[in-house]
Amino acid sequence: MNPTNFADKGRQGAGVRAPGDRPSRREVLSPAAIVAALWAGTSDASAVPGPTDPLRWLVHHVTQGLTESEFNTARSRGYLGYLEYQLNHTTIDDSALDARVDSTTYPTLFMTPDQLALPSVQARQVVDELMETTILRSVLSKRQLYQRMVEFWTDHFNIFIDNGIGNKLKTVDDREVIRANALGTFPAMLTASAQSPAMLVYLDNFGNTVRRPNENYARELLELHTLGVDGGYTQQDVVDVARCFTGWTFYPANAGTNAWRFRFLPENHDNGQKTVLGHVIAPGGGITDGFDVISILSNHPSTARLLAEKMCKWLLGYRPSPALVDAVASTYLNPPPPASRGDIKSMIRAILLSREASDGTARKYKRPYHHMMAALRATGASITSTTAIRTPHLLAAGQVPYSWSAPDGYPDTLDYWVGLILPRWNFGAALLHNKIGGATVDIDAFLAGADTAGAVMDRIETAIFGGIGGMNPRERSLIANYLLPDPPTTGRKRDAVGLAIGSPSFQWY
Amino acid sequence: MRTHRCPGCHEYMELTRRQALAASGAIALAFGVPAWLPRVAYALDTSASRDIIVSIFLRGAADGLTLCPPHAEDRYYATRPTLAVPRPDDADPNRCTDLDGFFGLPPVMTALRPAYQQGTLLLVHACGSTDPSRSHFRAQRFMEVGKPGDPSLRTGWLGRHLASIGPRSPTAIIRAIGMSHGLQRTLVGSPLALPIPDLDQYGLTGDLATRPERCAVLEDFYQAVPDPVASAAVTTLRTMNLLSTIDFAHYVPAAGAVYPTGGSGTALKSTAALIKADVGVEAVAIDLGGWDTHTNQGVTGSGAMATLMTQLAGGLAAFNSDMFSTTVCRNVTVVVLTEFGRRLAENGTHGTDHGHGSAMLVLGNHIAGGRVLTQWPGLDPEDLFEGIDLEVTIDFRDVLAEIVRYRLDNPNLAAVFPGFTPTIRGVTTTCHDEWRGVSASPAGPRVQPPGM
Repeated sequence: MNPTNFADKGRQGAGVRAPGDRPSRREVLSPAAIVAALWAGTSDASAVPGPTDPLRWLVHHVTQGLTESEFNTARSRGYLGYLEYQLNHTTIDDSALDARVDSTTYPTLFMTPDQLALPSVQARQVVDELMETTILRSVLSKRQLYQRMVEFWTDHFNIFIDNGIGNKLKTVDDREVIRANALGTFPAMLTASAQSPAMLVYLDNFGNTVRRPNENYARELLELHTLGVDGGYTQQDVVDVARCFTGWTFYPANAGTNAWRFRFLPENHDNGQKTVLGHVIAPGGGITDGFDVISILSNHPSTARLLAEKMCKWLLGYRPSPALVDAVASTYLNPPPPASRGDIKSMIRAILLSREASDGTARKYKRPYHHMMAALRATGASITSTTAIRTPHLLAAGQVPYSWSAPDGYPDTLDYWVGLILPRWNFGAALLHNKIGGATVDIDAFLAGADTAGAVMDRIETAIFGGIGGMNPRERSLIANYLLPDPPTTGRKRDAVGLAIGSPSFQWY
Repeated sequence: MRTHRCPGCHEYMELTRRQALAASGAIALAFGVPAWLPRVAYALDTSASRDIIVSIFLRGAADGLTLCPPHAEDRYYATRPTLAVPRPDDADPNRCTDLDGFFGLPPVMTALRPAYQQGTLLLVHACGSTDPSRSHFRAQRFMEVGKPGDPSLRTGWLGRHLASIGPRSPTAIIRAIGMSHGLQRTLVGSPLALPIPDLDQYGLTGDLATRPERCAVLEDFYQAVPDPVASAAVTTLRTMNLLSTIDFAHYVPAAGAVYPTGGSGTALKSTAALIKADVGVEAVAIDLGGWDTHTNQGVTGSGAMATLMTQLAGGLAAFNSDMFSTTVCRNVTVVVLTEFGRRLAENGTHGTDHGHGSAMLVLGNHIAGGRVLTQWPGLDPEDLFEGIDLEVTIDFRDVLAEIVRYRLDNPNLAAVFPGFTPTIRGVTTTCHDEWRGVSASPAGPRVQPPGM
């Protein structure tokens, strides 16, 4: 009944607390305490538009766009249940998506590297299929948190697709590095990435040899993928890491079934002694030098910290508290058993079960891709082709998948995206008037017979914003006025939904 | 103080108030300056005589040795058997045109000769960033932030310039445009800056009949949200209206100038129309890609690089005629830069690999042009960077800093180029006027800059 005093306040699952207790900012709440805190009352509406109800907040943050049915699923499971449901992504039935994204329609998506290496396989088709299926997966998959993390890791291990044979190789990387590990562990993903021919091309490591060392991969590995700029490495570390990865390349296109698979070429490897972050790597290690580096980096506190901060910003808001970042970094290094070091799901739990998450006030501005996927999801758009979605709309908005040229990936800051708002307004208008080839919205089905301004706004709030009251009241009334006089024309109804897509409320999550 | 409910105008209102205060001697320092730009004396100069700046970035590492061949160098010909542009006295029709007895212009760039002879075009050679990186991403970023070697600086040199000086036009609703899908790093940090890929296609689409009403709803939406979203949205709406008043499609350049279609031609023509419309834009950033010529560089005819050079030269030449004739002379400076140059020796696939030093172009009415400004290091192996690449003997920031100081009237060089002390090279004629007894010799490649 009454809570005992728990001395070890930092541990998740420390026990039930009395409703009046105020947990310190440092700790992660126990599941039951979260439930109590979450439903104890709603927080005040912040100046920034967005959901104030914690469950709505959660659905917005773990999906690429809230839909009515997704929100209903969440309501039936509650905050904790829904989070676990999304984390156990392989148990979510995604057969409808799989039927759509199949090898008959998108053969190159499923090809092995040696098949892709054939000159008869057009790079253009490979790129097209990868981009289209990525969009379809974002819109249609029920494994929404998984798709969000695929997007996150795609940026983290960015590969620019307009990069020679990287055009075709990225399909393999997307499948075997990113999607295979997005909700797995970071060390496994890093290992896969270091051996990925797409990455070996993009950051020039395939040409990194003992005779002509190339530091590009080593530098970005340390600066962007793991430790971070201030993570405690020196230029000499970059040099020696590069030396460790000499000989890491891939088979050429004419190597039969091995074509375009990872290959270690001993004659290109620098077999001297190296020192990486204070670890001495003995001479003659061959391929194990690279694996030693991966191990050193995977276990480094700076890596834990960098990833913790990035994931907090991805899932939560732009300014996660240092305390939370610390807690998530600790979770990376020492996740609850039986998870192993770098367990991504454990980190996600630590973030989304934190006080900062349950507050429901952390806000982020949707990046263009997220905004458009959310619009397609919320309106129930039927998609037969994504070409027009990509060009001109995603292009104008600045976020065509796999098209960021620098290794740091598409930015996730407000300042970068805020100047590109016009393409979002135009996307909303075009989508709702069925002016985007290959994407159609059935406005009558969407509005389900609503034929007054008020009823239309109710439908918009329910379908797009997670329920009546989900929209900023001022914005709601502005659109309602646009709809008047009753009954609104079909054109005005389309405009209204388009304006909702362009509204401040819909830009945030 | 007029009442104005538009939050996007608050910056302008603040500037007006602060200018009035400063003029009255009440307060002088550090107003209107964002917190991340400390120790800046906000330059209040709003003189319309200061230049509009157009920054053109050649993405992919443009080969300076082809843009401006050093035809007097035997090593150039020895190391580039198929790519070297023939000497001016060669029988080959693809020979270069001599500029100053040492350097030349390839035939596809001869459109620039009038500007060179007029004195508005300056070429700067063996220049660039002293950072050793040959990675496109890193080198572009370092150049755009104006601080090679610093991976955490997020703002651009031009953004910081615009943030540390009052608007050129006090009523400007937009000061800088990046002609790109996403604001270039060069402009990050600038107030009132937007990415607008196509100036002629910047408007709300959809039914014309409902457009004004939809615009009004959007404006009402975004008035009431916090910055920076409010400011960006309001600036967008006002810029849409503004650009719609400029008839880009029917713009008639001065002096019969004809801009090439595509590439830089279209961008520069739109920029010219924008400048002449005098709507307050004071900075434009343009990107031209495709310069990463590892294979079949193609420096003649319709080769890959030749095509790019033809477009670049044609665009700049038209802009020169359009902006700097004897009858109409605009206060504009164009600077063309690239992240690094390319390997002296050609590779096995008739192309060149990533190099180091390259060339810059500067075009303007107050530019000390008609010469190749350089401290030419030579092409012998011991003169080359890492034994393989053209050395950098003029830091690109020297060129930019002089433009910022003397053409853009901004003394805050320490903020625009942190951690750097520029050397005046004699890029601008304003600066030249301040020297006594020092002039650039057009005949020789070695220009001695004055001591600082």
